[in-house]
Amino acid sequence: MSTPLLEMSGVRKRYGGVQALDGAELTAVRGEVHALLGPNGSGKSTLDKTLAGTVVPDAGTIRIDGAEARIGGPRDAHALGVAAVYQQLSIVGDLTVTQNVVLGLEPARRFGFLDQRAARDRAGAALERFTAAFAGRLPLDRPASALGPGERQIVEVAKALARRPRILVLDEATASLHKEQVDVLFDVVRELRADGVLVLFTSHRLDEVFALCDRATVLRNGRTAGTVELAATDEDELVRLMVGDAPHQAPRAARAGAAGAGSAAEGPVSSPAATLEVRGLTTDRLRDVSFTVRSGEVLGLGGLQGQGQSELLLALFGGAHVGAGEAVLDGRPLPLSSPVKAARAGVALVPGDRGRQGMFAVRPIQENLSLASMHRRATARLALRGAAERGAATAMVERLRIKIGSLADPVSTLSGGNQQKVVIGKWLLDRPRVVLLDDPTKGVDVAAKEEIYAIVRGLADDGAVVILNSSDNRELTELSDRVLVVFEGTVVEELDAEAISERRLISSALRLGPGETL
Amino acid sequence: MSTPVVDTPRRGLTAWRPGPVALAGTVAVALVIAGEIVSPGFAGYGQLVNLMRVAAFLGVIAIGQTIVIIAGGGGVDLSVGKVATFSAIIGSRVMAGDDANIVPAVALALLVAAAIGLVNGLGVTLLRIPPFVMTLGMIGVVQGLILAYTGGQAEGRAAPALTSLVNGRVILDLPGLLFLWLLLGLLAVWLLRRTTFGWSLFAVGANRTAAELTGVRVNRTLILAYVLSATFAGLAGILLLGYTESVFLDLADQYMLPSVAAVVIGGTLLAGGIGGYAGTAVGAIVLTVLQGLLTTLDIGGAWRTVVNGVVLLVLLSLYGRQRRLRS
Repeated sequence: MSTPLLEMSGVRKRYGGVQALDGAELTAVRGEVHALLGPNGSGKSTLDKTLAGTVVPDAGTIRIDGAEARIGGPRDAHALGVAAVYQQLSIVGDLTVTQNVVLGLEPARRFGFLDQRAARDRAGAALERFTAAFAGRLPLDRPASALGPGERQIVEVAKALARRPRILVLDEATASLHKEQVDVLFDVVRELRADGVLVLFTSHRLDEVFALCDRATVLRNGRTAGTVELAATDEDELVRLMVGDAPHQAPRAARAGAAGAGSAAEGPVSSPAATLEVRGLTTDRLRDVSFTVRSGEVLGLGGLQGQGQSELLLALFGGAHVGAGEAVLDGRPLPLSSPVKAARAGVALVPGDRGRQGMFAVRPIQENLSLASMHRRATARLALRGAAERGAATAMVERLRIKIGSLADPVSTLSGGNQQKVVIGKWLLDRPRVVLLDDPTKGVDVAAKEEIYAIVRGLADDGAVVILNSSDNRELTELSDRVLVVFEGTVVEELDAEAISERRLISSALRLGPGETL
Repeated sequence: MSTPVVDTPRRGLTAWRPGPVALAGTVAVALVIAGEIVSPGFAGYGQLVNLMRVAAFLGVIAIGQTIVIIAGGGGVDLSVGKVATFSAIIGSRVMAGDDANIVPAVALALLVAAAIGLVNGLGVTLLRIPPFVMTLGMIGVVQGLILAYTGGQAEGRAAPALTSLVNGRVILDLPGLLFLWLLLGLLAVWLLRRTTFGWSLFAVGANRTAAELTGVRVNRTLILAYVLSATFAGLAGILLLGYTESVFLDLADQYMLPSVAAVVIGGTLLAGGIGGYAGTAVGAIVLTVLQGLLTTLDIGGAWRTVVNGVVLLVLLSLYGRQRRLRS
C-alpha cells in the first residue's frame, strides 16, 4: 500500500443556497471495498458523482494513482477507469440487455459497422458472473424493459464492469435487489477486490456495510468526519461520527410546554379532536403502514431518504395505487382513489418536487395561489371574480410574507423559498384539515426555512393534522411532536417527543437497537 | 413585522419587448399597407370589411383550436374543418330555407358537433390516444357520416333570417357577422381568463402532474376542451351556411390547418399553458390579409401557396426567436 489509488481532498460543491460538500476528503487504496456513510444530506451522493464526473466540483483535487485527475464529465471519468452505478438507472428499456451493456463502447468493424457478435460476447463476459442472479439464464437478447427491477440493477452493474474499471462506485446499488442477488453481487465485488479494484460502496443497510466493506469514511455536513477500519469499529462509533457533538436539542413539545401550555397544546379551536387514522396502508412501495395523528400535532416521517416517505404522503393524497388499507379522518373514510377527492375531503399535499409536481412555472402567481380553492369563491363554480381572487391571493401573500413583484408575474420569477410559499399558500386558501408536507424546505435558503417552520407550526396550532417528511433531521427535531421512522416501506420505530434527537433519528434510520446508541 | 411585501415591479429595468399579440398586429397592419402600395384600393373601407368578414369564419373556428392547444400534451383538433362542414350540412337540411326551422336546425347541428368533440375528448383522455391521431381519425369518421347523411348530395338551404343575420349590415355598414365574431371572441376571452374552467385549462397545459396534485379535474377539463372545440367549429359552420346560403360537401374543410396557424401566430404555445384568444383573432386576420394580398398580386395559384407557406415559416421562426430571447 504505497500510493493510495484514490485521493480526494478539499472537495467543495454548492447548489444554490446549500453547501453540499464543504472540503470533503477521501483516501482509498486498490483492492479495497470502501464504504461511504453519512446521514441524509451529508454529501455522499455528491462526492460519488464528483468522482464519476456527473457533478463538477467548485473546488478540490482528485488524485488517481498519485497523478492529479481532471474530471470534467463522465467521459473523463471513464478514461481514468472510474465507473459508477446509481440507484437511478441509466438503462434504456427499448434496447436489449446486450445493447445496454455495451452502450457507448460498441465494438465496431471497419467503416463503423457494429460488430454484433463481439458485442454479444462482451456483454456475455460482463454478465457471466451474475448468471445466478438471473435464475441461471442470461437474457442477452431480451429488451431491458422486460426485466425485473433487481435484474435491471444487475445489468447496470454489468454495464459498469464492461468498462473494466479500476474504481467502481456502487451508490445504493443493492436497494432494489433480492437477498440472493445481493449475495451474487457481493461475490463479484469480492472478486474485484482480489483483482485490485477499488470499490466505493454506499448503502442504507448497515449490515451490508459491515458484511462487505473493509474501511468506511463518514461524511457529516459535507465534511469528512473520519475514516475507520470496520473490523475495529462498532455501530456506536459510526453514529458518533455521523452525528458529531451536536448540542442536544429539546424537542418541540417540551419547549411548547415550557412556553405556555394553555394555547396550542390543549387542542384546536376550529375542529376539536379530529384524528387521522391510517390502517394497514399497502402500495407498491409501502407495506402495512398504520398510525394515528391527532389534530394540532405535527407527525414527522424520518429515516433515510427514499424509504417510502414520499410514497406514503402521495398515497394519503390519493396519488398512488393503494393495494390495501384505509385512512379514516374523524370517523369517516378518506378517499384514497384520486387527488381530486382527497382535496375535496380536506387533504392538502405540498409535494417533494416543487417544479414537477407543485407549481405551474409559466403561470402567474395569482393563478398558482387560486387554483386549489377557486371553486369555493366562484359563482356557480364557474365564474371567477377578479377582485375576489386578487383579494384572496393578496391576503395569502401578506400572511406568508411572500416576496413578489406583481401577482401577474410568472411564479418562476420567484426565489425557491417564495415559490415554496406559493405552493403552501395555495393549499392554505383551501383551509385543509390534513396537511401533508414532503420535504418542504428542500432547496430553500435559511431565512425562508425559518418562516416555513413558523407556517408549519401555525398550521398545527390552528388545529390541522400535519404530517411532515423531511430529509433534514434537525428540521424533524425542531418541528415534530412525534416521529415515525420509515425503512424500506414500513414504519420500524415510533419516537415520542422525549426521544426525538438528531442522534436518535440517525441511529433509528440505520436500524440500530436503541440500547446500542447511548 | 408587517413590512409591505410588494416590491416595485422589475419591468421597468428591462427594455419593453412586444408581445406576440402586438407583433401579430403589427404584421397585419404592415400587410395592409403593403397591399395598398402594390394595389391602391386594397385598404379601402369596403375591402377591409370584406377581409374581416372572411377572417371571421377562421376566427370562430380557431376559438376551439386555441382552447385545445392551451390544454397542452400535444393537444390539437384537426377535425374542426370537417365538423364545421358537417354542422353546416345538417343545418342546411333541417332549415330547408324556412325561418321556423332555425332553432331546431342550429340545436341539432351543435349537438352533433358537441358529441363528436365528446368522442374526441374521451379518446384522448380515457383511451390515451394522441390528440393528433384521434382527431385525424375523426376526420375520416365525420367524412363517412357526411356521406351517409347526404348520400353524396347536400340538400336544403339557409333560412333567410340566418342569412340576414350574417350578411345584413348593422351599423357603419358592418355585417352582423363581425358583431357575432366579436361576441363569441369576448365569450372566449371570458372563458379563458375569468372562469374556473379557463384557469384549470391553463394549469393542465402548464403542468399536468401538478394540476392533478392540486385537485384539478384534469380529464374533465380536457374532455370539455374538445367538446368546446367541436361546438365552436359547429357554430362556425352555421355562420358559413348563413354566408353561402347553400352548402357543398367540403365547405369548411380547408380551415383545418389555418386554424392551427392562427393560434400559433397569435402567440399561443403549441406545448400548451401559455396563450389566449386575442392573439388568435389577430392571427386569423393576418392569415386572411396575407391571402388577400397574394390574390391581389395575381400570382398563379401554385406560387401563391408557396409564398403563403414561406411567409408563415418566417413569421413562426420570428416568434421562436422572440421566446428564446425572453426566457
